[in-house]
Amino acid sequence: MYRGREGQWAFLLHRLSGLAILAYLLLHVFSIGSFIFGERFYMTIHERYDLWPFRVGLLFVVAGVVYHSFNGLRIIVMDFTGAGVAYQRQMWYVVLLLSVLAFVGSAVSLYPRLVGGY
Amino acid sequence: MIRARTFTDARQQSHNNAELNWWIFMRVSGLILMFLILGHVYMTFIQVSESDATFDAVVNKLANPAWKFYDWLILSLSLLHGANGARYSIEDYVRSRPNRAWVKGIFYTVVALLFAFGTVGLFAI
Repeated sequence: MYRGREGQWAFLLHRLSGLAILAYLLLHVFSIGSFIFGERFYMTIHERYDLWPFRVGLLFVVAGVVYHSFNGLRIIVMDFTGAGVAYQRQMWYVVLLLSVLAFVGSAVSLYPRLVGGY
Repeated sequence: MIRARTFTDARQQSHNNAELNWWIFMRVSGLILMFLILGHVYMTFIQVSESDATFDAVVNKLANPAWKFYDWLILSLSLLHGANGARYSIEDYVRSRPNRAWVKGIFYTVVALLFAFGTVGLFAI
């Protein structure tokens, strides 16, 4: 595998987070949309989401969405301004910092829900 | 697929208008989705818990046409944005032409069915 500098990692993480968010989105549309099959069908799916892997997984969804959106902003700035390309590395570290903060921040504020269940 | 750092590069590299339009669409929809989805994550996950995402809560929320429109905008923009992003990945990693054809065929079918399902769900209630 080619191990480039920050730009390569930014690209790889953007792609992986995008595909992960897409996988989550497909599941999410199905499980929320299943309310048209009635309450019993809907709740059967949603009671599963109380299992701990799903509760913890939501933190990764939040961090992934924050990374993907802010890195997307970085891409837009790079694409449409000349100066953006010169500062892409610095901007990437800001994006990474924001994603870590989003992960830690939601982990801290949702801690009771994470350990105690919903 | 376009590998470009600037809009001028993108315009030169694109073989046809459709490819350039998708390139622009990814930037524009991404910017809109950022606001829609961060708001959605905040309102439905940080502000309330998963246990509040009950059947009744969903039905009550969707009684308001404004939320129907908000959710439908997220649904359509994110599925298009996600499907096009996945198309970039498929074109990069699925190298043989026949494999690419059926992988794309199955993937587009799933996305289209889910879009129809979500739209019916939003507006049939």
